[in-house]
Amino acid sequence: MTAETVMDKTRLAAFADGELSPEEAAEVVLHLADHPPDQAYVDNVMAANEALSQAFAAPLGDPAPQAIENTILGAKQTAEIVRFPMRPSVWVGAALAAALALAVFTGPSFFTPAQPPRLAVGPISGGSSLSEALNSLPSGVPWAQDADQELLILATLPIAEGFCREFEVIDHADARIDLGIACRTSDTWMVEVTLSEPLASSGTEDGFVTASGAEMQGLLPFLDRLGAGAALAPDDEAALIARGWSH
Amino acid sequence: MTDRFRQDLVAIVPKLRRFALSLAGNQPDADDLVQSACVKALKNAAQFCEGTRMDSWMYRIIQTLWIDDRRRSKTRGAQVDPEAAGLNDGGRAARLPEDRMMLDMARDAMGALPEKQRIVLSLVAIEGLSYKEASDVLEVPVGTVMSRLSRARDALLPQLGMSKGPMQ
Repeated sequence: MTAETVMDKTRLAAFADGELSPEEAAEVVLHLADHPPDQAYVDNVMAANEALSQAFAAPLGDPAPQAIENTILGAKQTAEIVRFPMRPSVWVGAALAAALALAVFTGPSFFTPAQPPRLAVGPISGGSSLSEALNSLPSGVPWAQDADQELLILATLPIAEGFCREFEVIDHADARIDLGIACRTSDTWMVEVTLSEPLASSGTEDGFVTASGAEMQGLLPFLDRLGAGAALAPDDEAALIARGWSH
Repeated sequence: MTDRFRQDLVAIVPKLRRFALSLAGNQPDADDLVQSACVKALKNAAQFCEGTRMDSWMYRIIQTLWIDDRRRSKTRGAQVDPEAAGLNDGGRAARLPEDRMMLDMARDAMGALPEKQRIVLSLVAIEGLSYKEASDVLEVPVGTVMSRLSRARDALLPQLGMSKGPMQ
């Protein structure tokens, strides 16, 4: 071998990636000793591998997000995973992350006892399933009454005099999603604002809801006016629910 | 589906989040990807062959979902905002400023790669898969893995201030 001989780059890369047999690796080592440019390339590949490995290492040191863990472990409580329509996954805050774990809800309609056909601004009856869900359901754990209607609380946010919860009701029968913010400043919940969007425009048929809240962007100005703070962490939210929503 | 399946899936979530992060470029989208992949995995758990590598099986699901998502929203590139997206790791990965700069460049360079090159480079350089394992995940020949890797490095190394090697 001479100093001018250049080894194939894919072979040098395979050496850097640990792909070669001991015999092949030994041959490359001998070659590199006499070929500084090839040695430099191997060094670069190894350095780039290391840089990439470190650049994306942050998740390794973090616990699994609760929403993802709920998706995996929480689904154990259900008979099956229900498919949701895909919606664009534009991030509006990690706090809006929502799990897909599905708990089967066996109670009456979310809108009972009044059973209005649509989400309405105003106080929520204390005996309704929506009120019960707002009081007790963690964010990211959907409730499904049946194949047609599902409710998902997206986040809990503190305001000056209490708390607000962002939620959505997916009505498959009517092909629509109602989004709402309900706030609790006394013993009752009040729907403060709602938005609706057609389900058909939310994505394709072969997907499911992801842990995002793009559609909630329309409600963000309202949250700003309320002076809502950052969404509570799962542990803080769980403690708040356990305390019955007292400060 | 067994409890063991779910426990094994939870155990590899950190690795799945790392892989998804290297593709998506930001942690929220990466977590969406992982969550969607977990739902799909649970739904198709019967297709998983016990005794085979669950991480490789999940890598395949994640990369498929990611490509599908990218095709649906071609106008959206990888949204890389180190501060907002959680890529800033508080200096855990790099203590020296020059190291942090290198890691930033690595993230930027990764985000600029074509999808297939980004995936194969992540599987080999970050996840540590062999070429054969990567070829199994991607269901392409080993030679394709090698050629995609080579093109990826030709594009990546100059962005890291490195030579892309001797001309062939």
